[in-house]
Amino acid sequence: MATSDDRKVHPYIPKLVEQLEARRVGRRDFLRTATLLGLSAPAAYGIAGRILGDGAVPAARAQASPKQGGVLKVSMRVPELKNPHTFSWVYDSNTVRQVNDYLTRTGVDNITRPWLLQSWEASDDLKTWTLNLRDDVTWNNGEPLVADQIIWNIERMLDPDVGSSWLGLMEAFLLDKQGERTVLWDANAIEKVDDHTIRLNGKSPQLAIPENLFHYPALMLWPEENGEWGPGSVGTGAFTCETVEVGKRVVLKPRSDYWGEGPYLDELQFLDHGDDPFAEASALSSRQVEGQYECNITQLPILQQVPHLQMHEVVTAQTGVVRMKVGAAPFDDPRVRKAMRMALDTRKLLQIGHAGIGGPGEHHHVSPIHPEYAEVPFMEQDIEGAKALLAEAGFPDGLNVEHRITVPNNPAWEQITVQACVEMWREAGINVDINIVPEAQYWEVWTQVPFGFTRWTHRPLGVMVLGLAYRSGVPWNETDYNNPEFEELLAKAEATLDVDERRTIMADIERLMLEDGPIAIPLWRGLFSFWDKKVQGFDHHPTSYIFAENLWLDDQA
Amino acid sequence: MLAFLTRRLGHMLFTMLVASFLIFAMSEWSPGSVARKQLGQFATQEQVDLLTERLGLDRPVIVRYFEWLGGVLTGDLGMSTRFKEPVNDIIWDRLGNTAILAAIAFAIIVPASIILGVLAGTAEGSVLDRSISLGAIVTTSVPEFASGVFLASIFVIWLGWLPGTSTLDPTSQYSLASQLVLPVAVMVLYDLGYVVRMVRASMVEVMTRPYIRTAMLKGLAFRDVVMRHALRNALIAPFTVILLQINYLVIGVVVVEAVFAYPGFGRMMLDAALFKDVALIEAGGLVAVFIAVTTQVVGDIGYMMLNPRIRIH
Repeated sequence: MATSDDRKVHPYIPKLVEQLEARRVGRRDFLRTATLLGLSAPAAYGIAGRILGDGAVPAARAQASPKQGGVLKVSMRVPELKNPHTFSWVYDSNTVRQVNDYLTRTGVDNITRPWLLQSWEASDDLKTWTLNLRDDVTWNNGEPLVADQIIWNIERMLDPDVGSSWLGLMEAFLLDKQGERTVLWDANAIEKVDDHTIRLNGKSPQLAIPENLFHYPALMLWPEENGEWGPGSVGTGAFTCETVEVGKRVVLKPRSDYWGEGPYLDELQFLDHGDDPFAEASALSSRQVEGQYECNITQLPILQQVPHLQMHEVVTAQTGVVRMKVGAAPFDDPRVRKAMRMALDTRKLLQIGHAGIGGPGEHHHVSPIHPEYAEVPFMEQDIEGAKALLAEAGFPDGLNVEHRITVPNNPAWEQITVQACVEMWREAGINVDINIVPEAQYWEVWTQVPFGFTRWTHRPLGVMVLGLAYRSGVPWNETDYNNPEFEELLAKAEATLDVDERRTIMADIERLMLEDGPIAIPLWRGLFSFWDKKVQGFDHHPTSYIFAENLWLDDQA
Repeated sequence: MLAFLTRRLGHMLFTMLVASFLIFAMSEWSPGSVARKQLGQFATQEQVDLLTERLGLDRPVIVRYFEWLGGVLTGDLGMSTRFKEPVNDIIWDRLGNTAILAAIAFAIIVPASIILGVLAGTAEGSVLDRSISLGAIVTTSVPEFASGVFLASIFVIWLGWLPGTSTLDPTSQYSLASQLVLPVAVMVLYDLGYVVRMVRASMVEVMTRPYIRTAMLKGLAFRDVVMRHALRNALIAPFTVILLQINYLVIGVVVVEAVFAYPGFGRMMLDAALFKDVALIEAGGLVAVFIAVTTQVVGDIGYMMLNPRIRIH
């Protein structure tokens, strides 16, 4: 991946290099921010290697060179796949991703790199983003990749009639409300500079454009197909789709004229085993499939016994939050909310709720894997402290919470975790009843119930979730949290590129959330899956994306 | 006979009509909206409302019911919201798969239950009778999800002889026949015991009849007494029971199909019910009622033929 030397470098990058030299940013934060600002990943790794002296080779893994051939079968739900831009679940996109690409890719190391892009550049104020396309990419019908095709995709995803969730991510940056609808804020918002250059002219600073381009529905489709996808669809990816049988299977074939490295497989299949996790475990055990999308925690003990399987694990920022509406008594008293947090032993909760896979929860919703995560004192379980706080809040004889905690019935770890929380609360004299509801029903009321347990997915930056969930008035603010001090700090963090500076602000935010926040977080989920030992090149991605062009089969393994 | 059939046919149509309306109304009250299920957790309420409107789900249930009914009468079963395909394109294939499973299980259950039932019934109180009866009770009492996981743990995970799932994948290294072994085994285990006990009870009763004693006293071999005199009479009562097993085997095998990921009717109905896919649930419901009523009619006719004392008018 060559980078032109005369390209304008973001003015912040020299400062970042200085910081790395002074060891004020870590290697990972440097890589992340440098690539975010448009430095190519090899160049960033090179600089980091030079300064830190740990070799300039980017994450090369000692493994044999890939072998060609073989059929790989992966267990995953096969939903209807006709409209990729409106996908709602990650597994929808896992099939289409083999045929169509994103402009960027966030790696398992949480660093985003260009993919269909050669590079990107951000203006100093983060309002203008220039996207440079690679010039060697071809679609599987032989046509070259050009800017018009990308612009068509971007405009389509921003069309409110299409209904893509990408619109929500980009709304503040590119769109204005016009009555009920959204329109581009400026006629020149999406600007074609030349056949391989696109400029996004935003109305407000946006830090996470490269991450947003990796959002699972943001797949670049062939414009003439008008957003519809199916067998034979044109794409830039390493595979073509041969068959889609909803609820049964997908068959993908490798492309012979692929522009990138790979693919190594003769055929890739996704097989649907339904919602019973035991079926999937059986299929893996009897080698009917060689891999799976995500493993259900209930099957962990079985699959760990199977000698031909390898467990792949990754810690993520995925979590579930015990969320309390700040307007609903007794949660209107911050002392009660803090007591709810203090009563929990999150290390134990991780063991009970998620078999120890992941990390102990920290109640501020900034995960240790986020670049701007600041280490603030860990909130240990403190039953006596919780009781004292409750007494101070007017509940010296314990507290019977009048609202039941509403929990979706699926996946299983959520109920188990909440049950364990309830036991811990009881120790501190807080009595809570559980209300288990069907999962689909939960998503109808999740922003309304006074007391509930909501799962939040992994996002690459700490500020992203905080902005979506705890800023007053935003649609997903499920707790009605409204704290001007928090918002002032958050706005400052969102506009701060400097990792050190942002981390200082985050430390304040995290402390504020621990003291006053509307949530308790029992655990950070680790995701894991089991794959046959002969499958090489697989890493479980924090978003469970599968990139099959990297995969190959080693029959000796 | 013709009048009887016409009457039963009318009865069947009426039952299907009532059942179809009940299913429609019930799925209306079940939790979760179809649009929310399609759009997922992070869709905004506007998006949900928009899709609900586009799917026409905001109109009164009665309007949608009669619209759907009109479609069914012209052979159009509607669109599945889960699979985004016409119901006609999904349901027959799935029903065919389940029919294969049911036919094999039925072909094992019927002769096996008659043999075991007769062996036990003709030797009431013997060790053989006690063993068969006990075995029958045990296998019937173990629920399918338990026996499914139990058998799979032995033959798939421990011994590694059989495939763990039965997706009917033609490119699998396991033959289609081997994929059918475990689901059929679970269905047979679960269902056999009940039928065995019915046959046994009926046999025991027939063996105490005076004409059997007469046949024995006139010196006929025991085998001939059973085969020529007892069996036909002993099978009259279990005959209906056996036919009713078709209901279970075709439309009741949800658990077995889910545990073994078998692409059949039961798993389709489970998916449809969890997703609130009304068109598919409706079509499946009609098929279920049709099978139930048909087996009953066939049962009545067969009963009449086996037992000349009964005449149907």
